[in-house]
Amino acid sequence: MLLIRCPYCEADRPEVEFTYAGEAHIARPPDPSTLSDDAFRDFLYVRSNTRGLFAERWRHAHGCGRFFNALRETVSDKFAATYKVGEARPAPEETSR
Amino acid sequence: MLKTLDPLDTAVLPLRVAPAPALARFTLRIDPASRSMAGQAFGVSLPERIGALSQEGDRRAVQLGPDEWVLYAPEAEGQALAGRFRSLAEPHSLVATGDRELAFLVEGARAATALMAACPLDLDAMAAGTATRTVFDKVAILLVKESGERFRVECWRSFAPHLVGLLAVIERELAAGL
Amino acid sequence: MSRFRVADRGRIERSRTLSFTFDGQRYQGHPGDTLASALLANGVHLVGRSFKYHRPRGFLAAGSEEPNALVGVDRGPGRYEPNTRATVLELFEGLKATSQNRWPSLSLDVGAVNDALGPLFTAGFYYKTFMWPKGFWNKVYEPVIRHAAGLGRAPDKADADTYASRYAHCDVLVVGAGPAGLAAALASARAGAKVMVADEGAEMGGALLSDLSSRVDGVPASQWLADTLDELASLGTVTLLPRTTAIGYYHQNMVGLCQRVTDHLANAPSGAPRERLWRVRASQVVLAQGAIEKPLVFAGNDRPGVMLAGAARTYLNRYGVKVGERALVVTAHDSAWEAAFDLKQAGIAVPAILDTRRAVSDALLAKASALGIETLLGWTVSGTAGRLRVSSATVNPLGPSGKPGAGRRIDCDCVLMSGGWTPSVHLFSHSMGKLEWSEALQAYLPGEPREALRCAGAGTGVFTLQGALETGVEAGAAAARDAGFAGDAPRFAAQEEAASAGEAKADLPSASGSAYAKAFVDFQNDVTAKDVRLAVREGFRSIEHIKRYTTTGMATDQGKTSNINGLAIASGALGKPVPQVGLTTFRPPFTPTTFGAFIGYAKGELFDVTRKTPIDSWAERNRAVFEPVALWRRARYFPKGGESMEEAVRRECRATRSSVGIFDASTLGKIEVVGPDAAEFLNRLYVNAWTKLAPGRCRYGLLLGEDGFIRDDGVVGRLAQDRFHVTTTTGGAPRVLSIMEDYLQTEWPDLKVWVTSTTEEWAVIALNGPDARRVLEGLVEGIDLSPEAFPHMAVAEGTIMGLPLRLFRVSFTGELGFEVNVPARHGLAVWERLIEAGRPYGICPYGTETMHVLRAEKGYIIVGQETDGTVTPGDAGLGWAIGKAKPDFVGKRGLARPDLVASGRRQLVGLLTDDPGHVLEEGAQIVLDPAQSVPMKMVGHVTSSYWSEALGRSIALALVENGQALHGATVHVPMPDATFTAQVAGTVFYDPKGERLNG
Repeated sequence: MLLIRCPYCEADRPEVEFTYAGEAHIARPPDPSTLSDDAFRDFLYVRSNTRGLFAERWRHAHGCGRFFNALRETVSDKFAATYKVGEARPAPEETSR
Repeated sequence: MLKTLDPLDTAVLPLRVAPAPALARFTLRIDPASRSMAGQAFGVSLPERIGALSQEGDRRAVQLGPDEWVLYAPEAEGQALAGRFRSLAEPHSLVATGDRELAFLVEGARAATALMAACPLDLDAMAAGTATRTVFDKVAILLVKESGERFRVECWRSFAPHLVGLLAVIERELAAGL
Repeated sequence: MSRFRVADRGRIERSRTLSFTFDGQRYQGHPGDTLASALLANGVHLVGRSFKYHRPRGFLAAGSEEPNALVGVDRGPGRYEPNTRATVLELFEGLKATSQNRWPSLSLDVGAVNDALGPLFTAGFYYKTFMWPKGFWNKVYEPVIRHAAGLGRAPDKADADTYASRYAHCDVLVVGAGPAGLAAALASARAGAKVMVADEGAEMGGALLSDLSSRVDGVPASQWLADTLDELASLGTVTLLPRTTAIGYYHQNMVGLCQRVTDHLANAPSGAPRERLWRVRASQVVLAQGAIEKPLVFAGNDRPGVMLAGAARTYLNRYGVKVGERALVVTAHDSAWEAAFDLKQAGIAVPAILDTRRAVSDALLAKASALGIETLLGWTVSGTAGRLRVSSATVNPLGPSGKPGAGRRIDCDCVLMSGGWTPSVHLFSHSMGKLEWSEALQAYLPGEPREALRCAGAGTGVFTLQGALETGVEAGAAAARDAGFAGDAPRFAAQEEAASAGEAKADLPSASGSAYAKAFVDFQNDVTAKDVRLAVREGFRSIEHIKRYTTTGMATDQGKTSNINGLAIASGALGKPVPQVGLTTFRPPFTPTTFGAFIGYAKGELFDVTRKTPIDSWAERNRAVFEPVALWRRARYFPKGGESMEEAVRRECRATRSSVGIFDASTLGKIEVVGPDAAEFLNRLYVNAWTKLAPGRCRYGLLLGEDGFIRDDGVVGRLAQDRFHVTTTTGGAPRVLSIMEDYLQTEWPDLKVWVTSTTEEWAVIALNGPDARRVLEGLVEGIDLSPEAFPHMAVAEGTIMGLPLRLFRVSFTGELGFEVNVPARHGLAVWERLIEAGRPYGICPYGTETMHVLRAEKGYIIVGQETDGTVTPGDAGLGWAIGKAKPDFVGKRGLARPDLVASGRRQLVGLLTDDPGHVLEEGAQIVLDPAQSVPMKMVGHVTSSYWSEALGRSIALALVENGQALHGATVHVPMPDATFTAQVAGTVFYDPKGERLNG
């Protein structure tokens, strides 16, 4: 079981308190009606499936309840960083690796 | 439904589980910038850190998330409290959740051990006077560490039989001493 | 005292005697014995038959690595366990054990004919032999092989034992309580760290328990062990867990431990679990798991009486048991010499020490000579003899080229072998740490760790006692330091006689080329050296493939004694160095672990959460039949007398449509949406328009995903300008709340609105039927219930019985309907009062089944029944709910996707069977032309189907391609025994004008 640092609680908490919520930084288009069919398909379904550092969303569902973002190494499963909604993806040198 | 031990046995048994007295309970959601106004409405200033707890007399506030607090007051004061928040100008949400939850007190030298049978947090290391949402087996709980040997556990009403049933099994396990 | 017990050795409690049986035969042993040591003390070596060839097998080892001595243990009804290793099974009074995989008896086993057929059963025999003729596999080969091969029989009764689990947190977790682990624990604990020590043995001490000659700091090793354990126990910061196996190493230093709590007790105290699974989160871990002795691979190395030299030494020194009276020692490593000396000194004849090496240290030779033991250096063993027990071995000198010369027979009743030691790197490997091949030790050693861990002792290839203590102290002190505790590391000085040099042998050169000679690599899966070579000849190159083709290392022991030998043989056959051949992956659990340990408390009533409503106890008292809905249990129907479900449901339907029915709807999800932007939020999230909904009014709300498909639905009531009471489906409540939080936190943080689950704050009682208002009238205060003041789709707050009330005028039946929401703790009292008030009208409690029928008669959908994640509002006939003027809402763009606007979508329709008495099966497929050939084109399926009491016939809802254009058409439902025809109809079967809603 992983320990995940919740950026709102500022604490390492056990994985069972969290739920996974898919790839991060896929914002809902401000006006979806202006999107072409292909662009909207990409928004809905196309994901990067990264091998390596992957930006993804988690929710501290059984804790503070907040959604947040994380950089996780998909090969080792190790978290490199977690950060609040609205914050920019950390640069590689800012991660804990 | 509740299987609790005879209170007279607490001297010999390491654990006691009992329903906590009913309280008025509200879930407050408000921009933390408006925290102090909300504290004035409540009559107790709100804590300023997730997991922190503030208490004056029989009123208590616990911060659960960046914009979420639980407020407790004696049952008889619930209506008046809701009324005071109705006149709070800052946008907020106050919702009564006193019937949603059932609360239990888990006390005794082995209280933390008993809860750690199914709770992944380090409850020995958890500071007394703090609170957190977490899980106990498959039950989402709100856990308050009142003191080193006394925890308050709240869960949604329909999950309580599972929580109490499991604690009863754990009581027997601890009493067996192995 | 039995013949094989030695008076002056062993840690057993001789003053007490325990009786036990093996295959029905009564024996005696002592506390401190394992079943293995007790049987050996009684001269019993034959304990099992092998997996494939049914060869007689005895004890190979003395610890958890034992591949052969698997027994069934019967502790009474529901307490039978197969495949228990006799070498770790602690003896208790009345223990009943049986051998496995033999018929009719252990000494006369019919299956042993497989041994004679050996050449047929080579590597990959399953894949090769039984390929043809097709069809023979299921009928002939498979059953015969299943009967003949295998381990123990599976238990056939529910497990009567209880199991526990526990989370624990510590600064330093030490795995293994041999000298290295104990030194580490002491170093950590003295520095002030909170320490846990887990050891799989009944007693802590590891190798020290069988070491009679070494001394530490001037005292015998056994005294140092006792002192150390005393000190650790006295510190108060150390948890010592004997009988506890570290089964797996998981992310971030979470280590799974399985503690055997009561298996060693004849009478366990009530309430005590059989086993406890610990999930330990340690900031630092020290792995001191020791090493496992390697067998030598030679023909007949599996005969009962042939065992590891270290095991024989353990049986002698720890248990006071002679494994035989005449022990031939064959080795490639110094450690077996020490075993030979110990045995000889205990009065056991040692006819020879045979070493494959041409030279060993002078000290060993001198000691052998002093003890009068013949030494054969540069010799090999090429075979053993004896039917159920070894009686002699054939040994041969190795010529200059390594070829064996003429054989010489040596009589013996046991052969003690050692091919050196394999460091236990299993947990290190679980932790994803990198293993490094040591050419000098011919073993894989822990390399760079990936977690906060250190290894110490024999597990790192350090085989001396002094080395174990030093590496242990170093690891323990460093672990404490990294966990934040600094202290002076203790120092220990060991005096020992053990030497630890050796050479690695793939398999021993053999004089015989016989096809029947079997030199075993993997004892539990009956894999021979020949099998491994055959796999290589047949083209297998990767050790992962060789493993699966030969099954070496795939038995329940996971190759603890066989992996390195298998690897060495494959390496030789491939002509490639071992590191290039690779190593198979170690996976948890380290040793076989019971399902019970993993399940923990989750059995019986605690198997899963069963959520019950505040009214559940009334339903139970009134003999409701329940059904699970999500985690809830809900009353499905209330049979009276001997009614069947069908009869009860018809009665409940009639009563509700003709007078009044009462229904517990408390499980409905409820979310309170509060804040100045509440209406705007719902506008963005739900398809409907909310701005103009006045306080005191309700609207049916429909929630889509961004893809345009229906996710959830429910009635939404506006209580005030800034407060909505949103209801969801029973199963969808947590999901909808999470969706709402997600949008609010991540997409629209600008909105001043918050959501709170109130599902369990309110008990909900639905009253439906023409008399519903009359039941309520006398009880409700503060709300004018007249149709004018409180019309359909109204909501108001008032009181009932003096309690707070949220009253909705809504209907899921098509009848005049109310939903009474009261604080949950009062739900039961209000329900009982309403039943009483309804008695004059013949009020009828109904369950979920009647609810389903009544709503289907009205064509109301159930999300998850009429929808499956691919249904749009238009498909479901709910296009009217969409707020057409809204610029955007979740799912609006999705609804305009090409596939969602294309023709040919499956649309919800009603079906009326030509035979009004036939109720179609839900899920049944629909075709247009029943005469077409198979596979037919399926154009849809039945989503709901019931007997409608109101219509006196069957009704069904279905999703059918272009269904809305097919009204009046005939469709066909082919079933296994008949094809049914039905007419496509509208979805509203009953009261199509909706007049009854107005009561």
